[in-house]
Amino acid sequence: MLASTLLPAGPVCGQSADKATSIVTSNCAACHGMDGNSVVPTFPKLAGRHPEYIARELNEFVTGKRKSDIMAPITAALDPEDFKLLGAYFGSQKPTRGTVLDQKAAEEGRKFYFEGNEQSGVPACEGCHGTDAQGGKRFPRLAGQHREYLIEQIYNFRTNARIATRIMREVSNRMTDAEIKAVAEYLTGL
Amino acid sequence: MRTGLLALALLTVWSSPLLAADVAPVWNEIKGEKLLVLKLKGDAARGEEAFVTCQSCHRRGATGSPSGMYPRLAGQHATVLIEQMTDIRSGKRRNPKMAPFSDEHVLTPQEMADIAVYLQGLPIPANLGRGPGTALGRGQDIYVRDCANCHGDRGEGNRDKFYPLVAGQHFVYLLREARLVRDGERGNANPDMVRVIKRYSDDDLEAVADYMSRLNSP
Repeated sequence: MLASTLLPAGPVCGQSADKATSIVTSNCAACHGMDGNSVVPTFPKLAGRHPEYIARELNEFVTGKRKSDIMAPITAALDPEDFKLLGAYFGSQKPTRGTVLDQKAAEEGRKFYFEGNEQSGVPACEGCHGTDAQGGKRFPRLAGQHREYLIEQIYNFRTNARIATRIMREVSNRMTDAEIKAVAEYLTGL
Repeated sequence: MRTGLLALALLTVWSSPLLAADVAPVWNEIKGEKLLVLKLKGDAARGEEAFVTCQSCHRRGATGSPSGMYPRLAGQHATVLIEQMTDIRSGKRRNPKMAPFSDEHVLTPQEMADIAVYLQGLPIPANLGRGPGTALGRGQDIYVRDCANCHGDRGEGNRDKFYPLVAGQHFVYLLREARLVRDGERGNANPDMVRVIKRYSDDDLEAVADYMSRLNSP
């Protein structure tokens, strides 16, 4: 108990690893998979995300900044130290790729990812999410994510169903439906 | 009653065109957030981190976009950058494309100071976007006659007077902004500059923008 409360976000080891595994088994694995690579496309893959990003989002389900009827009760039963453990656990899992189904859309999405749309003022996704869409502590990893989840989140930003940062609210409103579909198709195959 | 009279008096003052011209706001008045940010000590390393959200448009190294839609910021005077960022935030400079990405939910005053110092120290890249090159003599004549006095013989601008470095800026960007300044649509243009370029034709603007885009950055 003492060890786990003193442990900063980082590699999981020993007692902490046991605790993380136990939390994942009973709380997360059913939807997100034991290795953080969910198989159901409406549940996001967590594997390979930055530990601090994971911990921050989990905390926002508790504070209510991020709303989810599924995640709210689950996170309410855990504490911030658990979130750090979970961040380290899922962050160190190996992410899987998805399969591109529409090659043409994926190619358009790749272009959009690196250039954005200057006419409508959509910034390039690459600037914040990184060249390989690996993300970081401020912005999530998008590589290999389920296309359905990516599309749903962008629509949630648009409608404020997910309270976005100012940046993503604006971006989602400037993107066309075709651009959203294309960039999701590209990202899922990374 | 007294208040009513005062209100009436003010109304009279404001509705008089003569007096309204006398109380026209000072260009680039250093107050509010602009004053605050200019006083802060910026840190280039922190600025590089905060610039991540900006580089989605202005690109890594702040070179601007190849099309010239987004300006190069590398090497620009920190004072000018702070002036423009705070003017865009306050809505004084009309820039609906950028405004949401630079508002108080995205950038703190300290981050603006950091970004300005970071960008000022970046190496100025080789020019990426020049004009057609068909009227450079005319562009030079105009520049030497009307622009060099403030923007400098080599387009280096003036840090202390908030005059931007224009040398080697993207042609497309220079032309667009010059048009906005001339037509009174930029919002925060220096009235002295508006007076000078008000009579320019589109061809004049294109010639001088092309000339500036080819100046060697100091």
